[in-house]
Amino acid sequence: MTRGMWTRETVALMLLAAYLPLALFWAWHGGAEALGRFALAAVIVAVWHVVFLLARAQAPSLSGMIVALAVAMLAPEDLGVIRLALGLSFGVVLGELVFGGWGRNVVHPATVTLSFLGFGFPAFAWPGFDAPVAWAAIPAALIGIATGTMPAAVLAGAAGLGAAALLLGAVPQAVLFAACIVLVLLVADPVASAATTPGRWVNGALYAALVILFARGWAGAAPAQIAVSAALLTSLVAPLLDEAALALWTARRKGRHGRT
Amino acid sequence: MRFPWSGAGLNPVFASPPEEAGVSEVRTDEAAICPPVGQSLHVTPLLQEGDSVARGAAVACLRHHPEVRFAAPVAGRVARISLLPGRKLSEIVLYSDPGDAAERHDTSATNNDAGLRRLMQAAGFWPRLRRRPFGGMPAPEEVPFAVVVMATDTRPGAPDPRAAIEGQEDAFAHGLEALAHLSQGPVIVCAPSDAAEGWHLLSDQRARVVPRGPRHPQGAAGICVHRLCPAGLDAPVWDLHAEDVAALGALLATGVLPMTRLVRIGGAALRTARTVRTHPGADLRELTQRLVVPGPHELISGSALDGRPARWLAPRHRQITVLPTSRDVRPTHWLTAALRRPGLGTPAIPTAALNQAFGAALPAAPFVRALGAGDDESAMRLGLLSLLEEDVALADYVLGEGGRLSAQLGAMLDRIRTEFAA
Repeated sequence: MTRGMWTRETVALMLLAAYLPLALFWAWHGGAEALGRFALAAVIVAVWHVVFLLARAQAPSLSGMIVALAVAMLAPEDLGVIRLALGLSFGVVLGELVFGGWGRNVVHPATVTLSFLGFGFPAFAWPGFDAPVAWAAIPAALIGIATGTMPAAVLAGAAGLGAAALLLGAVPQAVLFAACIVLVLLVADPVASAATTPGRWVNGALYAALVILFARGWAGAAPAQIAVSAALLTSLVAPLLDEAALALWTARRKGRHGRT
Repeated sequence: MRFPWSGAGLNPVFASPPEEAGVSEVRTDEAAICPPVGQSLHVTPLLQEGDSVARGAAVACLRHHPEVRFAAPVAGRVARISLLPGRKLSEIVLYSDPGDAAERHDTSATNNDAGLRRLMQAAGFWPRLRRRPFGGMPAPEEVPFAVVVMATDTRPGAPDPRAAIEGQEDAFAHGLEALAHLSQGPVIVCAPSDAAEGWHLLSDQRARVVPRGPRHPQGAAGICVHRLCPAGLDAPVWDLHAEDVAALGALLATGVLPMTRLVRIGGAALRTARTVRTHPGADLRELTQRLVVPGPHELISGSALDGRPARWLAPRHRQITVLPTSRDVRPTHWLTAALRRPGLGTPAIPTAALNQAFGAALPAAPFVRALGAGDDESAMRLGLLSLLEEDVALADYVLGEGGRLSAQLGAMLDRIRTEFAA
């Protein structure tokens, strides 16, 4: 039987390829400590995937590496092994694996992990990003769009509103950098974002709007915290956006054909 | 070269050797009447084994609608009638004779709807129609909401329907006119976008030509129906191939139903690909005998995407695919098997590839999720009733699912049909 290639694991591999520039620049700037954090996160995620493989015959996925990368990049600094393991276990198990693995989850497990860590351990500082790392988000987005694995409409919606905010000078540079990285890592995930094209445009724009709102009105928040909070709220709203887009689609078809 | 603006869709490439020029007429020594793929038909044979039969003469009829008949694709003798339990048709095999006696039908009473239907049913044309929702041939008295004529076929390696009706333009126009009499709505001709002009059309504007792009699901009947006139539970839509419309025109003009079909033979296990003009139910072994490369191979009626292994050319199929089979069956390690075949299949990730596999005609990710979850109502809202298994074959291929989406769609349609009938 001949088969096409766009299985779940191909999509995960393509996403990993897209994140490669981002990961390389981040590792270059972060050095051995960054790599160690990534390795620790990867091991914790892999353990949970194997546990679910053995307990529920649920196929493990390479998307776990994406989660590990996002958590290693964005988690508050100097958390220590125990706290990181606790947060990751919560995010990976309750955010993804109990729903049936990657593709059946509602929110990105890394978003859950980061929100858990950020709200649970507020004493630890959020990481900041250098300009080269943030710029590497652009090739990541381009590879993701070219391979069709990242929803182009989400990126375009966020970029459109972000560019307008930048022209008006509404967001500081540090927030912009963190927002770009979170956009490609967490928001433009094909599963956790909206699944219809109009929904995706609104999804991206909503993320940018929330980032702008938090940057203007949330006193004392770190740039990464702002971006992660915006990503969490956006992915919670994504199913609603999809539902609205589908209702519009069916209404338009009813108007045109008399039935769907 | 395909340009990005030639519309949504994909053109998967399947290996096939270069094609021999020219179209040869082939009549196979044996031919069979078999049910469409995935359908079961309760029939009553009208002949005995050993009886001789003219081309186009009735061989069997539907058990519950005896007026709907199945016609012999070739003139010959009935070799074998095999029925499954419940008198379901398995196959009726005919030996073809060198003579070419053809059954002539009375066309005098076809100026009204009832007479036209009676002729189409008696001449064995009715099984060539397919209705949506649920597929299969329409009930004898069903009035379609619209009729979609497929003059384009974008499946990989499909023959060009324009070549099939070349020189029969008048018969095609005549057939369209007859279809317009049967339908209460429009007759829509889906034609390739590069040749939308030059079609013979009706004078009363009931028929219209809709250009369709060159990429795959755009020329799939289900996607066309979904786009142009969605089928509903109480709004059946018929679809048929342009070649069959020309055959209907010829039947009305001469009283003889033409039993020819332009079929393309392709696939990786061939020495040369070929286009032949043969008849429904042709013997695939005989058609491909001199073309295949030595070694194990599989004969598939239909395209590489939606075809099934078969002995006979299935109804509605216009493609034969010959694929090499490998005997290399190694035992797999239990862990590899567990990783490849998890308890619950891996979900589809909404990517651009998935969207293109549905020709961007419907919200692909919500539709696939509804299929996977068994959510009948959402799937119906998104256009399930216009689709059949073959329309999601490309998505199945693209996602590497090996037929899971088709199976889910078939099961869902069966469930909805039972609920609707109750």
